[in-house]
Amino acid sequence: MVNGNRNINNHVGELLSGYVDGELTQQQRQLVSLHCDECDECQETLSRLREIRESVGKAHLSEIGEDQWRETMNDSTVKTTQSIGWLMFIAGLLGIAGIGIAGFLFSEEIHIGMKLIIIAVYGGLATLLFSVLRQRLIERKTDKYKDVEI
Amino acid sequence: MKNQDMRNQLAQLGNGAHALALQMLGNADDATDAVQDAFLKVLSRPGAYDPGTGPLAPWFLRVVRNHCVDLIRRRRPEDANTGELSDPGPGPEGSLEGAQRDQLIKHALAALSVEQREIIVLRDYMDMSYAGIADVLDIAAGTVMSRLHRARMALKEELTRHG
Repeated sequence: MVNGNRNINNHVGELLSGYVDGELTQQQRQLVSLHCDECDECQETLSRLREIRESVGKAHLSEIGEDQWRETMNDSTVKTTQSIGWLMFIAGLLGIAGIGIAGFLFSEEIHIGMKLIIIAVYGGLATLLFSVLRQRLIERKTDKYKDVEI
Repeated sequence: MKNQDMRNQLAQLGNGAHALALQMLGNADDATDAVQDAFLKVLSRPGAYDPGTGPLAPWFLRVVRNHCVDLIRRRRPEDANTGELSDPGPGPEGSLEGAQRDQLIKHALAALSVEQREIIVLRDYMDMSYAGIADVLDIAAGTVMSRLHRARMALKEELTRHG
């Protein structure tokens, strides 16, 4: 009897989960049902699996509700739209600057010496601006006090 | 599918998707970012989902899961974190008993493998069908029951140990 039960135990093992979830065929359900009538161990496992399923189902594994996700989605849309807007604005600005620079460089009305001086002034300003921006970006990424609320 | 319908369905799936991402990534903020990225990905190309191939839920959860797998692959070993497997603290409406139960489940889940945690979340937390789970995890439908049973038995062991 014990050996016979052990064989049946091995057979119904994973079917117990299928039984709890209502995912078995009629034949399999009958098999589990008949087996559990005779086997206390499987009956206990079955009831424990039901309890676990219920506990996990009721647990708060995530506290973020439907409304918050809706807001998050809207935020995502706003962010994408803003990114596209900025991208278009910067591309347009670069285009205008490019045309201006090309016009300035190829202009025959401005003396070459004057052109070099103007290039040096604007080139220097651009280099300074780039350097400051780079430094700020590095600081922003590595600043360990940035999240401290005062 | 209309954009608004899709948004409504996605909002309903958010909580489960976040729980799944949290079990995979082990960090609530990373999980929120992962779900947000998945929303963005789906909403920027709504045509990628074909309603003829099945319900939205398994499809969207597969997107979330694949994104989490990518994040895990890109992660440096020192960033790996499996200590925070549920949102911190009970909500304002949470009872003491509920909080204790959550804590117990959280500790027990933390002891399982990612593979076991994700299948338990999909079935027991999200109540998905075996066919849906097979779709999300990209495994044969026949494998779901055995994998789920092993995961539940492991969870049972851990709950007995912690309880």
